[in-house]
Amino acid sequence: MHALDRLFEKSSRSLAQRTSRRSFVAVLGQILTGSILLPLLPIDRVSRAQAASPDSAQARPPHQAASDDPQNCEYWKYCAIDGYLCSCCGGSSHSCPPGTAMSPITWIGTCHNPSDRRDYMVSYNDCCGKTSCGNCECNRNEREKPIYRLSRNNDVNWCMANSDSNYHCSVSVILGLADQ
Amino acid sequence: MRTLQFGAVLLGLLVTGSAMAAQPLAAEQFTVESLPRASPHWVYIVDEAFANEIDARVRLFDGDSYRHLGQIDAGFNPGVILSPDRTTTAVATTYFARGGHGTRTDVVEFVDNTSLTTIGEIVLPPKHAQLSPAFSILSYSSDGRFVYVSYITPAASFGVLDPGNKTVLSEIDTAGCVLVLASGRNRVSSLCDSGRLLTVTLDEQGHEAARALSDVFFDPDSDPIFAQAVPTSSGYVFLSFLGQVHEVDLTGPQPLIHAPWSMVGAAEKGHWRPGGQQLAAIHGALGRLYVCMHSGGEGSHKEGGSEIWVMDLKTHHRLARWPMKSLNIGPVSAVQVSQDAAPLLFAGTDHQAVAVFDALTGQLRHVEKNLGQSPWLILNP
Repeated sequence: MHALDRLFEKSSRSLAQRTSRRSFVAVLGQILTGSILLPLLPIDRVSRAQAASPDSAQARPPHQAASDDPQNCEYWKYCAIDGYLCSCCGGSSHSCPPGTAMSPITWIGTCHNPSDRRDYMVSYNDCCGKTSCGNCECNRNEREKPIYRLSRNNDVNWCMANSDSNYHCSVSVILGLADQ
Repeated sequence: MRTLQFGAVLLGLLVTGSAMAAQPLAAEQFTVESLPRASPHWVYIVDEAFANEIDARVRLFDGDSYRHLGQIDAGFNPGVILSPDRTTTAVATTYFARGGHGTRTDVVEFVDNTSLTTIGEIVLPPKHAQLSPAFSILSYSSDGRFVYVSYITPAASFGVLDPGNKTVLSEIDTAGCVLVLASGRNRVSSLCDSGRLLTVTLDEQGHEAARALSDVFFDPDSDPIFAQAVPTSSGYVFLSFLGQVHEVDLTGPQPLIHAPWSMVGAAEKGHWRPGGQQLAAIHGALGRLYVCMHSGGEGSHKEGGSEIWVMDLKTHHRLARWPMKSLNIGPVSAVQVSQDAAPLLFAGTDHQAVAVFDALTGQLRHVEKNLGQSPWLILNP
């Protein structure tokens, strides 16, 4: 392991030991962690418009808004996701499909839930170890930053630190209220 | 009428019979095509193949004949760059031992541009920055002696390679700064989270001799710059999310950072923005900057251009706005311009097409459809 990797891990573990969970989560958004704290991260996906599954709109009950449908790119939790939605690939909005592996590094953003009008802290995770799922491509970039601000970037392959770093799909996991 | 129909059928039979009586086609020789002489109107189009990312490729395309001339395989999340003499294409990429899974091998492969065959490789530590294709993942020193490859593990560093001897010379730590913006024979600059440039100077053996941090020249929070730098004869041009142009001169040991200027007027600011992947290109001799522009808000920085704006780098005046919508080619996410006196502008679109324009007038000449899944990076020979 490279010295910088060890430094990342050491600093992340040290940070976790020195801070409360609340402040830790806040800081985590600013500092990229190299240890296995949370599974996450979306890859690039500069792709084209918010494509998500057109079929999902047809399958959705008439009363269900796009922002409430985990198979739709407009789902509220996906406000800065970039990749294929795991909910269309055998997983869910917060779980990986069978046979894939969660990425051990992550980044965190804030999304607004219009249903309860609250802002939530979410982690963007990648699921790894199989080739691209190809279903429900989604690219949203609220508050996303270029690659030099790695802790806010969705262009990089966040499976990069997995033993098998191929990218399969992305999820968005609620960590808690943003103002907690 | 029936007489006419009968005559037509009879004529057809006669013609067919005549053809059957002619000499049979000669046996063909099965062979491999050679590339014609390189043209300034060729482009190397990097297709990330987003739906099956382990199969990225580079397509060589002729902007005059509109022919596909050949292909270079590019693996997973590649960085691609041409050598300074344009004889070689270097590809930094990852391969998995079992196709979609298995042990990861990172490598820089070198391809002969006259035959499109792979002529060598350098195996890397498994750290190659796996990103959307962009210029500055991989770069050459101006004399071609060194190749620089960006590493993100997520710790940031870069490798210095010797393409002549096919060896890794060193790894330079750049904590907090990423990518490899080459300048001169032995300098590499990286973009920093602090809004600065880190510049590392190498010695003759490719090891670090000195490093310097520039002053802060952009605000990553209020108006970040795109990491997609546009190379110039003296350095790079960076565009900000809100349309500021930052010109950086890297000909000296310390970066010379010019005062930024704006592409958008007061009434347009915050509404019209640059966006896309390879969102700008420069014609050096004309001093013109071509930019993908769209109308949008925060979070729209990856939207392709509904217009291409042409800016004069000397006067900072806007020379033209070329609307794309009526052309039905989709938003433009990547632009490149040939550097000759009759330049072509190439535009990679969100509809998997590459459009060819007259770069002086904006006149559309051709739309090549289905030129890969995601033509997001276009290189000039």
